[in-house]
Amino acid sequence: MSKPVPVEVYEPFKAGLPPLSRYWRALWARRAFISEYARSELHEKHFDSVFGQVWLIINPLLLSGVYFLLIVIIGGHSDKMRYGHLTACLFLFYFVANSMTAGSKSVVKGQKLILNTAFPRIMLPISAALISFISFLPTILVFFIIRTIMGFPIGWAMLWAIPVVLITMILALGLSILISCANVYFRDIGSFLPYLSRTWLYLSPILYEVSALKPQLRAYERFNPLFPILDSWSRTIVHAKPPQLTSLLQGLAWALGILFIGTYFFLSRERDFAVRV
Amino acid sequence: MPSVSNSDHKSGDLAVSVQHLGLIYRTTIERRPTLKARVRTLGRGTKHTRVVNALDDIMLDVPYGSVLGVVGANGAGKSTLMRVISGILPPTQGRVEVYGKVSTLLALGVGFNPSLSGRENVQLGGLAAGMSRKDIENHFEEIADFAELGDAIDAPMRTYSSGMFARLGFSVAVTVRPDILIVDEALSTGDAKFKEKSLNKIKELRSEKRALILVSHGLGTIREMCNEVAWLHKGKLIERGEPNATVDAYEKFLKVGKSAAIDEDI
Repeated sequence: MSKPVPVEVYEPFKAGLPPLSRYWRALWARRAFISEYARSELHEKHFDSVFGQVWLIINPLLLSGVYFLLIVIIGGHSDKMRYGHLTACLFLFYFVANSMTAGSKSVVKGQKLILNTAFPRIMLPISAALISFISFLPTILVFFIIRTIMGFPIGWAMLWAIPVVLITMILALGLSILISCANVYFRDIGSFLPYLSRTWLYLSPILYEVSALKPQLRAYERFNPLFPILDSWSRTIVHAKPPQLTSLLQGLAWALGILFIGTYFFLSRERDFAVRV
Repeated sequence: MPSVSNSDHKSGDLAVSVQHLGLIYRTTIERRPTLKARVRTLGRGTKHTRVVNALDDIMLDVPYGSVLGVVGANGAGKSTLMRVISGILPPTQGRVEVYGKVSTLLALGVGFNPSLSGRENVQLGGLAAGMSRKDIENHFEEIADFAELGDAIDAPMRTYSSGMFARLGFSVAVTVRPDILIVDEALSTGDAKFKEKSLNKIKELRSEKRALILVSHGLGTIREMCNEVAWLHKGKLIERGEPNATVDAYEKFLKVGKSAAIDEDI
């Protein structure tokens, strides 16, 4: 009788990546987990509140209300476009920032699952990014209501917003994966993150428009991944103009770069997570 | 990662083969690894880490059709061994071969997110372990019935009593029918009635086509259910063999060994 072939063999792992095709198959087989996890988490988040899931709409409304108060009423600016730029960019920024925050907690929060089930750990930060994306969708709706009321220009060029959102999704996913892994080793990241994202908010063209920036400062814009993305976003969805192709490509390069680096770190470290969390 | 087996298993075929398995982890003394701690220990080598020899040269074969009991004091490495067999912890030495689908849904993993309901936790745990939505749906009624949770299945798990937690965990572990079933400590909690029910369930699950590994502190259960018992102590396999003889030796060690064990700890 021939010796049967083992279904699984576990041996000490060497540094570097696990076998990628196997990993991908295991991940693909569990894709339902990612959406189910996102659904449950979103449901749970507002489980005890009076408005429940409606908070997904109330949040962006309140946020834009606060800035409407600040810019239009207190600031006395009659420039509607500026208010439009600010809300649109703020919503996109919060998508990325929320993805980082949720990502940072994802692996540590899944400790009990990690210790007791074998699965591709990258599912956890992917779910975190998906949760942020789902929360981002109603904000687009809110923005479209605002821009209709305020009578912003409309045109086919607005369709360029779709590739901009896709690039932002890649960036948000990459950051979620990168930070979730880093947070396993340096728990301090969770505490740094609010200040980091606040600083990033001010360094990005959100409270101001790109054209209003001093030329000396513009030289530094290429170090900010969100700079080309927000510039394109504002052009398309607020002004209904096509974006600059270089900005789009720059944003894409940043997003793919961060996703690649984040995934590499995550995959090469994740077998260590069970003894680290 | 567990994958679905496609062959029938015969009694006596190898299910799990553990060869010279060793697992060492390094833990930092600080409870949480922080950047500050990192900075403080920079350049000082591994001074602030402690090496834990969780498993040390373990040799163990589990054939199909058998029930292996694993006994040992707290910290003996029982759960760690189960985690290596399930592919959760990678070994640092040796090799583990698994000839079939292992239930990686150790009872302890159920309820990983206490603010979600029992139902959601079972579904998510199942999906994470690689089951399909349909599989889970088919099994769900059975799990809920066996756990006797009633309406509480849809309440957040933070509202559960420890008995309810354990019942749900056990139900999940025994309802999903893998080739190699690991039941880790799930029998010790729960009231007498549920204990009896779960014992009967395990008896029912003993079959030619399955290998069972039972980790328990209930030595009576171990004597009654198992064909073979492995006794672990501080990561080493002390003895392995016929249930009554091994459990007797372990019990004797527990009685006389108390003072000796304390000496060892210091």
